[in-house]
Amino acid sequence: MTAFNATRRGFLTGAGAIGAGALLSGCVTQTPSASAGKSGGPVTLQSNLSSPQAKTAMQAIVAAFDKRGDARAELNTVASETFRTQLPTYLTSANPPDVYTWYPGSVAESYAEKDLLLGLDDIWEKPELSGYSDALKTLCTSPSSSKKVFVPTSYYWWGMFYRKSNFAKWDVREPRTWDEFLDLCDKLKSKGVAPIGLGAGGDTPWVASAWFDYLDIRVNGATYHRELLAGKHRFDDPEIRKVFDKWDEVRPYFDPDGTAIPFQDATTALLQGRTGMMLIGTFFADAAPKNALDDLDFFQFPIIDPKVPVAEEAPTDGYFASARTKRADDAKELLRYLATAEAQELYLKSSSGTTLPTHPDAKDAGTPLVLKGRKLIEGAADLTQFFNRDSSDALQPTADTALVHYLAKPKEIGSILTTWQRGAQKIWSR
Amino acid sequence: MAPTGSARRPGATRVPPVVLAFVLVPLLAEAFWVFWPALQGFSLSLTSWDGLSAPTFVGLGNFSEMLHDTVFRTAAINTVLWLLLFGGLSAALGLGAALLLQQERRGIGFYRAALFLPVVFSLVATALVWQAMYQPDGLINHVLQAVGLGGWKHAWLADQDTAFYAVIVPALWRQVGYVMVLYLAGLKGIDPVLYEAAKVDGATRVQQFRHITLPQLRSVNAVVLSVIVIDSLRSFDVVWALTRGGPYHSSELLSTYMYSTAFQSLRLGYGSALAVVIFVLAFGVIVSYLVRAFREAD
Repeated sequence: MTAFNATRRGFLTGAGAIGAGALLSGCVTQTPSASAGKSGGPVTLQSNLSSPQAKTAMQAIVAAFDKRGDARAELNTVASETFRTQLPTYLTSANPPDVYTWYPGSVAESYAEKDLLLGLDDIWEKPELSGYSDALKTLCTSPSSSKKVFVPTSYYWWGMFYRKSNFAKWDVREPRTWDEFLDLCDKLKSKGVAPIGLGAGGDTPWVASAWFDYLDIRVNGATYHRELLAGKHRFDDPEIRKVFDKWDEVRPYFDPDGTAIPFQDATTALLQGRTGMMLIGTFFADAAPKNALDDLDFFQFPIIDPKVPVAEEAPTDGYFASARTKRADDAKELLRYLATAEAQELYLKSSSGTTLPTHPDAKDAGTPLVLKGRKLIEGAADLTQFFNRDSSDALQPTADTALVHYLAKPKEIGSILTTWQRGAQKIWSR
Repeated sequence: MAPTGSARRPGATRVPPVVLAFVLVPLLAEAFWVFWPALQGFSLSLTSWDGLSAPTFVGLGNFSEMLHDTVFRTAAINTVLWLLLFGGLSAALGLGAALLLQQERRGIGFYRAALFLPVVFSLVATALVWQAMYQPDGLINHVLQAVGLGGWKHAWLADQDTAFYAVIVPALWRQVGYVMVLYLAGLKGIDPVLYEAAKVDGATRVQQFRHITLPQLRSVNAVVLSVIVIDSLRSFDVVWALTRGGPYHSSELLSTYMYSTAFQSLRLGYGSALAVVIFVLAFGVIVSYLVRAFREAD
C-alpha cells in the first residue's frame, strides 16, 4: 500500500504545482502523528456539521464524552464541501482522522468494499445499539463484507415546508393529490407569490435532486429509483421522460431565482413570504430563527400515481471510523457513546431539534412538527436516502448539471438526458 | 580567468560546501515538489483511477476521450477566450489608467491607491463580494432598477449567457491595478527630454504616444504580457468561488474542469490528463516567450 500512497500524494502535489495547490493543501487536515497502539492521544472526530447550531451541539456531545473519562475526543469541524471532496484522501492516508460524520448505505459501502472502514460488529452487540430497528441494522451493514460499518444517530425527513401564518393569510390549505397541488400553485401565483422556492444556486445545486428523487419515486417507485442510481437503468429511458413530463406541469410555478440563490437564501425568501413553499429537508431549520420554528409546517410530497407504493426520503446521519485508525478501541468507545439515548438527546437539545433520534429510547423534541414528521416516515411503505446517498458522491455533479440545465432550458430535455447518461456512464465504468 | 597550471592546487577548484548546499538544496526541493509530482501526474494521466482502488493503465485513452468530450471543448474555448478578453482588457485598461494617473497632481496618489487596492485583497474574498453584488436582489440589479433599466435585471451568475462575462469582471477589476503599477513604473522611466523635443517639433499628443511612449514601453510590455498569460492560465479561484464552472459548464475553464473531474467526480486519471494539457499549454507559451525574449536580447 505504500507505493499507492506515494502515488496519491504525488498527484496531489502535482495538481498543486499546476494551480489548485493552495486550495488543496489548505484543506487537508492532518492529525498529529501518533504512536502505534490503542491510545495515542484523543480520538479525532472529523465533522462536517458546520452550521452554528449543529457545531455547538457537537461541541456539547464531545464535552460530555470527555467528562465520562473512558477516552478523550477532539472535534475537528470542516466546511461540508471541503469535507466531502477530502474524504477519500482522509480515509486512504496512513494516519487518518479516526471517526467521521457521514451517511450509511451505498455512500458508506463505496469505502467499505475497499476495506477502508472499521468493522463495528462488536459494538452493535452492546446494549447501546442492540435495540436499534432491523431496517437500521440492514442499512448499516456492508453488503460486500456483511460487517456492520456504521453507527446511525439521527434521521430526518424531506417535505414541502411552508409557514402556517402565510398559508392562513393567503387562505390556502395543504394539498393531498397532484391536482390539488397544481391548484394551490395557481392560487399562490395569482396572489403575486412565487409558489415554489428552490435554492439550487450558489454551492447548493444538489437541492434540485430532491425534486428528481421525489418525482421518480412517485412516478416509477422507489425500487426503480434505486436501480436507476445503481446503473441498472438509463437516464434517457422513457420512464425518466415521464418524470420530466410531470416536472413540466409544475415548473412554471418555480421561483425564477430558484437556480440563482443557495438554499439558505431560499429559506429566507420562504420565511419572508416571498415564496409559498419549498421541498427541503429539516436541516434547513438550523438556519432559521428560533421564533420562526413554531410557525413552520410541512405536507407530504403529493401522490401522483396511487398505484405506486408511497416512499419518502428519510436520510440517516451518523458516523463511521477509519480502518486505519491507531486508536480503534477509543474510537469504538466514542461511537458507542454517540449511539446512546443520552448523546442523541443532548444533540437535539442544542441543535434546532428537527431531527429524529435513532435510539428507540431517546426522546425527540416532541414538537407538533416533529410528531408529524415521525408519522410521515412511519407510514411510508419504503424509504430512500437521497440522490448522492443512494448512488455516490461522484454521480451527484452529473445530476446537478443536468437538472440546473433542465430548469433553464426545459425544451432541451432530450439532449440533457443523453448527456446525463453519458456522464453517469463514465462514473459507473470508472 | 582560468587559473594557471602552476598556481593550481588540487582541490582549489572544489566548490565550497556552502555554495554546493545553496545549489543542491533548492534543486532537491524543486525536484521533490515540482518535477517528481509533475512526472507522477503524467503517469497518472495514463490510468483510470477513482482515488481509492489501485489505478488501472489505460494508455492514451484519457487523451482520446478528450477529443470527443464536449465539456473539454467548451473549457478549452473558454480558456482561450479568457486569455484574450482578460489579457487584452487588463493590458488596455491598465495602460489607460497609467496614462491617466501619471501626472503628478494633488490627490493623484489617492486615485492610484484606490485602483491598486483590489490587488491587495485575496481573489476569493473579492469573488465573494462580487457574488453578493450579482445576486438577483443584489446591488447591481438594484442600481439597474433605480436608473430605470429594470428590464436589464438578471440572475447574472445563473444564466449561461452572462455567467462567463460576469466572472471576468472581478478578475479584471483586480488585474487592472496591477498592470497599471507596472506601466506607471515604465512611464516614469521615459526621459522627459524626448517629449520636449517632440513638442518643439510640433508633434501632437497622439503622435507623441505612438512614436515615444509605446516604443519606450517595449520592455514593460514584455513583462506585462508574461504576467497576463501566466495569470490567465492559472485562473481558477475566482471562477470556482463564483460559479464552479457552471451553470452547466458555461463558465468552465480548463483549470476548473480539471478540479471538478478529479476531486468531485473522482476521475483522477482523466483529471490528471487535463492537468497535463494545462501544463503543456503553459509550458509552450512560456518557452516560446522566453525564446523570443532571448532572440531580441541578442
